[in-house]
Amino acid sequence: MKKKKEIIEQIIWLRLSQIFVNERYKNGDFKIPIHLAMGHESLAVAVDRSMKNDDSLILSHRNIHYNLARMDTLKEEMDEYYLKDTGIANGHLGSMNMSNPKRNIVYSSSILGNNLPVATGFALGNKLNKKDEVVFVVTGDGAIEEGSLWESLLFMKSNNLNTVIIVENNQWSLGTKIEERRCDIYLDKIADSLGIDYTSLQGNNPFEYIEIVSSCRAKSVENNCPVILEVHLTTLGYWYMETEEYPDGKFINYHAGPAPSVEINDYPLISTSNEDPLFVLKEYLTEKELNDISSKLLKKLESELV
Amino acid sequence: MKYVQFVNVQLKKIIENKKNLVLYGQNINAASCLSGLTKGLGSINQGFTINTPNSENTLVGVGFGLMLNNISSIFFMKQMDFLLLGIDHLVNTYNVIRQNEPKASFTIFPINVDSGYEGPQSALNNFNDFCSIAGVEGYSFTNKKDTQKIISDYLVKPGFRIMSPSQRLLQNETIDLNVLYNDNEFKFFHYMKGDDVSIICFNYSLPYGIILHDMFQEKDINASLFSINTYSSFDYKYLINDLRSTNNLIIIDDTKSANKLSDKFLNEMYKCCNLDKVIILDRRNEQNRFYPRHDKLEIDYFSVLNELIN
Repeated sequence: MKKKKEIIEQIIWLRLSQIFVNERYKNGDFKIPIHLAMGHESLAVAVDRSMKNDDSLILSHRNIHYNLARMDTLKEEMDEYYLKDTGIANGHLGSMNMSNPKRNIVYSSSILGNNLPVATGFALGNKLNKKDEVVFVVTGDGAIEEGSLWESLLFMKSNNLNTVIIVENNQWSLGTKIEERRCDIYLDKIADSLGIDYTSLQGNNPFEYIEIVSSCRAKSVENNCPVILEVHLTTLGYWYMETEEYPDGKFINYHAGPAPSVEINDYPLISTSNEDPLFVLKEYLTEKELNDISSKLLKKLESELV
Repeated sequence: MKYVQFVNVQLKKIIENKKNLVLYGQNINAASCLSGLTKGLGSINQGFTINTPNSENTLVGVGFGLMLNNISSIFFMKQMDFLLLGIDHLVNTYNVIRQNEPKASFTIFPINVDSGYEGPQSALNNFNDFCSIAGVEGYSFTNKKDTQKIISDYLVKPGFRIMSPSQRLLQNETIDLNVLYNDNEFKFFHYMKGDDVSIICFNYSLPYGIILHDMFQEKDINASLFSINTYSSFDYKYLINDLRSTNNLIIIDDTKSANKLSDKFLNEMYKCCNLDKVIILDRRNEQNRFYPRHDKLEIDYFSVLNELIN
């Protein structure tokens, strides 16, 4: 029960931390581009909780949620956004390349598809060192359009590398939805063609997510192979772009920058459906409990950032 | 001994003494083993030797991933043009990795395809451009002495670099010259000393320089002969001293790149030397580059001689 409470609090803390970053972003505090990941909290917590001691995590440009989940504090990450020498990477990496080797985040890339080959090499190094640890690598529905996915899967499978490839499928790449830019990609069939195990997840239930991510890890270790986990989720936040075709504004899902539709006063919920991981927590908490925990964590964050 | 066999022996000397090394690339441990370049390396390597799939972008990233995990590796590549597919990693991945002092070594060892007739897409004698865009050290070598020194010092040294032999020279007999002087980082080698003219060879031009040197000698013209083995600027003091004694400069550069170190070098020499004659032998007026054709630098040696003495 205590562990369940910790997990719930970690998800809420991730949301509130991002809302804090968003408020400062709206205020014009940051010179660097930041990709918020509100709506991705359950997955980030599940990955954090499924990683064993020497497992590694390799991230993409949208990495705030994983970096926060692997830390107990917002301040160092915030300082990195301010490019201060007290930041996680001494202000040398900024947001899109933020990594934290002390917490096993060994590399993050701002380039779509770039981190998959690096994860492949890192996993090959583990094999040479006779380590059974797993490399988790996070990519997205945009990055899997790059050829590096195919090349890396081929190498991982050919060389029996312990890897879990997490595909965050939020349907959007920059300002375009999948159907606006390409045909469907059936990752399950791609995986099947290479003899790679594939699992799909959606719904944001953190406890189910932890179970599934952990089982993907176990499969990878047991069979010394890559495993693909595709997670369907929504990146919360949106705006409307006025064009000649859409004079009332075209819906654009959040990609990067401040999320104008997310207000600190709205915390902790952004959406009242299971696309919001905090809404899913209502299965386990009353509205009052959710608000009480949020208020407590909000105060803690405020005092941390003073 | 053929040059490819000589390079292979030098590689073996280093690889057999290195633990936990990953050697990888297409066909490196199968069939002709890149025309003999990597023959037998797999049997002496104590780490992994991997015949890889044809996935150059990923293969360059793999080397950097290994480096992050403190594992040294060498990626052998049959043709330098394959490296075009890995430029993202040369630039973007290495820009992140280089922020920390690397404990492991990563060497990409492509063969510079300068033998000719490959066609418009494959004859990429442009080593300069890879070094420039990635901001990395590159080492070319052409003969027994510079090959020995560069491979033994840099092949598995912590850090990242590209080193590349010439396809054209690999199939020839090994060139053996005495070295009068080289700098500590092996960026240039001085082979002959003369008082009449300084011949400075860039990229894989040393064989042309040797022909010119020997031809001058028959006419009692004493030439200094240098080869530049790097693609980035370095301390030119030693070469300036030589030029101040000859006052005549011949530059030979067989790269196809428009981003030539020889141009930058010449600019510096104009600033600090009073040169009587400057002769540049490169590809700037070359025609038909994009058709299958020979890749040799066309030099009219007698015209060069006449230009120098008149």
